[in-house]
Amino acid sequence: MSSAVFLGVRHHSPACARLVARAIATLRPAYVLVEGPADMNGRLDELLLEHRLPIAVFSHYRDASRVATSWAPLCDYSPEWIALREGRAAGAEVRFIDLPAWHPAFTQRAEGAANRYADAEARYAEATGRLCAHFSVDSVDALWDRLFEVTGPDDADALQARLDAYFDLVRGDAEADAGDRAREEYMASWVSAAVAHAAGRPVLVVTGGFHTPALRSLAQRGDPVRAMVPGLRAGLQREGSAAPREGAGPEDRAALQEAAQSEDPAAPQESVEPEGTPAPRKGAPPEDAPAAYGMETPWPRIPEPPEGALGGSFLVPYSFRQLDAFAGYQSGMPSPGYYQRLWEHGPRDAAQGLLRAVAERLRGRRVPVSTANLVAARGLAQGLALLRGHPYETRVDVLDGLAGALIADDLDRPLPWTTRGSLHAGAHPVVAEMVAACTGDAEGRLHPDTPLPPLVHDVTEQLARLGLADAEGGVTLDLADPSGLARSRVLHRLRVLGIPGFTRVSGPADGADPVFTERWEPDAGRGGREAVTAGGGREAALIEAGAYGARLDEAASVLLAERAEAAGRDAGPLAGLLFDAVLCGVGPLCAELLDRLAAQVGRIGALGPLGEVLASALGLWRHDRVFGAARGELLGGVVAGAVERVFWLAEGLHGGDGVDLGRLGALAAARDALLHAPDLLPLTREAAADAAARIARDPLAPADLRGAAFGLRRTLGGADDPAAVVRTLAPGILGDWLAGLFAVAREEVTGGAESLVDVLDDIVAALPEDGFLTGLPALRQAFAFFPPRERERIAERLLQRRGTRGSARALLRTTADPLQLARARALEENVARLLTRHGLRSTP
Amino acid sequence: MTVTEGQLQRPPAEVRYADELAALRAADDDPRPPGWRLSLRAARRFVVGDERAGISRKFVGHVSLVERALVTLATNRGLMLVGEPGTAKSLLSELIAAAVSGDSALTVQGGAATTEDQIKYSWNYALLVSEGPSARSLVPAPMLRGMAEGRIVRFEEITRCPLEVQDCLLSLLSERVIAVPELDGPQGMVFARQGFNVIATANTRDRGVNEMSAALKRRFNFETVFPIPDFDTELALVEAEATALLQQSGVTAPPRRDVLEVLVGTFRELRGPAERGERMATVMSTAEAVSVAHAVGVRGWFLRGEAGTAADVVASLAGTAAKDSPEDLARLRRFLEQEVPRRKGGQWRALHDARHLLAD
Repeated sequence: MSSAVFLGVRHHSPACARLVARAIATLRPAYVLVEGPADMNGRLDELLLEHRLPIAVFSHYRDASRVATSWAPLCDYSPEWIALREGRAAGAEVRFIDLPAWHPAFTQRAEGAANRYADAEARYAEATGRLCAHFSVDSVDALWDRLFEVTGPDDADALQARLDAYFDLVRGDAEADAGDRAREEYMASWVSAAVAHAAGRPVLVVTGGFHTPALRSLAQRGDPVRAMVPGLRAGLQREGSAAPREGAGPEDRAALQEAAQSEDPAAPQESVEPEGTPAPRKGAPPEDAPAAYGMETPWPRIPEPPEGALGGSFLVPYSFRQLDAFAGYQSGMPSPGYYQRLWEHGPRDAAQGLLRAVAERLRGRRVPVSTANLVAARGLAQGLALLRGHPYETRVDVLDGLAGALIADDLDRPLPWTTRGSLHAGAHPVVAEMVAACTGDAEGRLHPDTPLPPLVHDVTEQLARLGLADAEGGVTLDLADPSGLARSRVLHRLRVLGIPGFTRVSGPADGADPVFTERWEPDAGRGGREAVTAGGGREAALIEAGAYGARLDEAASVLLAERAEAAGRDAGPLAGLLFDAVLCGVGPLCAELLDRLAAQVGRIGALGPLGEVLASALGLWRHDRVFGAARGELLGGVVAGAVERVFWLAEGLHGGDGVDLGRLGALAAARDALLHAPDLLPLTREAAADAAARIARDPLAPADLRGAAFGLRRTLGGADDPAAVVRTLAPGILGDWLAGLFAVAREEVTGGAESLVDVLDDIVAALPEDGFLTGLPALRQAFAFFPPRERERIAERLLQRRGTRGSARALLRTTADPLQLARARALEENVARLLTRHGLRSTP
Repeated sequence: MTVTEGQLQRPPAEVRYADELAALRAADDDPRPPGWRLSLRAARRFVVGDERAGISRKFVGHVSLVERALVTLATNRGLMLVGEPGTAKSLLSELIAAAVSGDSALTVQGGAATTEDQIKYSWNYALLVSEGPSARSLVPAPMLRGMAEGRIVRFEEITRCPLEVQDCLLSLLSERVIAVPELDGPQGMVFARQGFNVIATANTRDRGVNEMSAALKRRFNFETVFPIPDFDTELALVEAEATALLQQSGVTAPPRRDVLEVLVGTFRELRGPAERGERMATVMSTAEAVSVAHAVGVRGWFLRGEAGTAADVVASLAGTAAKDSPEDLARLRRFLEQEVPRRKGGQWRALHDARHLLAD
């Protein structure tokens, strides 16, 4: 009789890793099967070299229509890693049994760049939500710690039983999709083959807990497989009469089952039935798999990428920062730094280490942390652990204690560990340091014998092909020439990835810059040849960058996307990122990057910088011939997002006086987008005109913005007469309003009968001396939007109106600065007034 | 107690939930901090509820916040609840006081006119004049009583008090004693008994906690109370509360769920995650949403005999949003003009179509 033992784990869980080690030690299995890309099986030796973890199995795929990259990160306490290492050490055959990452089974939910071990967490949110309510905790991570990681001197059987109950419960609830079913069928075929080959010796199957129930029933369907090892079984059968244990073990398990039953009394409780075939669960595959495998059962075929497609898996160094869910990746568990300590030294030391690490980090940042505060934090953490029934302080207890004792302010958003999500930019500094202390700063390093990541080969090959490998004296590239452009792109991608070798010393500064050559010099301080060939610094940097992608263009896109994410609401880096994206060229992952940039643009908080981003994106879209971004769809999202955002911000902008060229520029950029790229925008011309009309009418909006909005409406076809509005304006804001108007719609309002100039002339002529002098600077600024020739025409018109003859040009070119004249005039006025007041003025 | 629950407009928590408190106390076999009426776990169950034990959920928010609050009270630091108005800070402090001390009535209401007398003690001047200072002529204020009896004292809106009045809590919280210099002998020092602590609340829209003295800040642990994080929870709460209010107002048609969804969605949007822009000066709290939902139902029922529509939401919102500033009215208008059209759903469209109802 054969036997497969299924061990469901949560990725990156130290408790699960311990259970795996224990199962290997007690079972001495013939085979250890692990969830992971089966196409790595030929290279497991490479994986088991003495690396410094974390590392990741990086998989990539590319065909004509699709590019996908994914990572399967491994750290010291990953159950998968323990299964591979301990399994090998115990003399078992170890195998990855999941479909390769490029397989369509992954593509349904995976984006271009995905994490294999992100797994199904999001999909069983409902079941875990119920459990959280039941156990009075706020997040799945806190629940997990309580049930599995920070337990008393628990016996492993009880832990195992709780774990099985947990996964049965969540799987019973979640809808497995077609991709899951395909993967499970494939994994089950490996299990059957291994069982056949094992000839009665145990086979240990380590997969994400989400898949375990399905795998178990798949295996039982085809083969009389023992679903669990007797020792583990016993833990379940002892329910109720279990020997008293420390911690909350038995109660929790009962509660887990109760929580399951209270929602769904009909749900089969297979995990507590002694033997027998459980009913197939929701989402179990149809009964059409092969009935049984004989002794000659072949190992399952490892799918090959389709014709014309490239795919493969490689090892890359990884870091805790990348691993941490708080930093954006939905890896199994957050806070790898904390769990590393937990794995190495146990929960008590992990809690103390975390407290110490936070205090040190804060003191390093010169945030005062008094001993009294630390005592209070420790006390709170211990109190919380007692209240919550934890035998030791968990991660959340320590963090809660620290937050309570150290933060004496109101917070903008809930503490990040109470919910599942990423840390927001602008989080309270103490909170940010606490999260960083949990993350840890470990960086993986591959063993020197590991084959180099594909990126290294890709770069070497490209540099050689493009003649850049031995360009000792630097290169000058003609961007108008396709080969020059191709070389420029490669060098920019290397620059973005921070690979040493070349520095750009000249070239276009933005999309509108009419410079068509670029100059790159070898890095200072290195012999050119050494730097560009396989020099130490470059290769190390490339290996590190290998985690971002298999090919240079992909890696650059992924890194730029990461930077865009980090930029948050800060508009400053966004325009630069946009230009970098264009400089690096249109890669297959570029679309994703630009989507992200578009989303970021939608969150910029100030009109000025937003206008700059919009203007440069629109400029690239309209005019760029060099980099090939013109009229492309890629920049469309950024333009559309920015235009919507301009209107949103402009309508909300109230108060403030004077002329702000930044916001006027934003409205002018929006005008250009509406006129020249209407097809890119979801916003219709009518809706934009309505919004502009509202802003123009809004008495709270600054005068220059109202003028600009008026001009925008006029540009979009509104028929309102500016002359009529000008008559109603107070003299103090006249200049500001006109500046806005002229910034956006100069041509539209001065053509035709030129009545605006006439009306203005009347108004200005009627101004009292004081009013004229105060209003003059703003008026001059407003007319500065006219080029000299048009200004001359206006001057002519004025001379004509007054019936004066003379040179309009001379009127514009006064011998002194008119503002200085005005100041002199004001001074004279003042003196005259003083003299009059004191009766010293001679009557004329 | 001479008044029964039925006669009171709003009985205190320990009266409203007397049965639950009694049940929890009877079943409570966890260790209790000295001076506490319930154990920490029982107190937590009282506040966040426990369906199996028939304990209702009274505070909708993160459980960990309640836990941190309770553990803080069991230490020697006070508890400071800060947050936007309408986030149920006072309710939380009342519930905790009722659970811990069985009494939520020892309350100081902070304000510009609050004096030290109202916090510590004052005198019965008739007795003071006739008998001189004595324990009989002393009129204890909530702090003195809380300390003498070992109970939780609530200090509402502490930041609205003048700073010098706030600072009279300093020695009281660190030394845990009030000196009554007018009285001789042992009566002149009132030492805090076990079970005494302070829950203060502060509103971030008033003078914020930034103005509090650092010395006083150090004696409190801060907890920020947030608006209800979850849409469905908030919707359910608004629906339940509005339905009850409408029944009291004689409206028999229950509020329409799709209209309430739009209403709650609007409130949540205007309450503002920082990304969408500036937040409203008016407090867009859940309590405010309930009162708008109430107004919507009343309008619909008494004007047209039905449950109230998205147009009523716009009309009622104008009153809420414009309460404090024309700025907010402008924000609301911008939301209706620019953001609402992007949303899918019939009621959102109706909301957009009714935008003209916002008076200029």
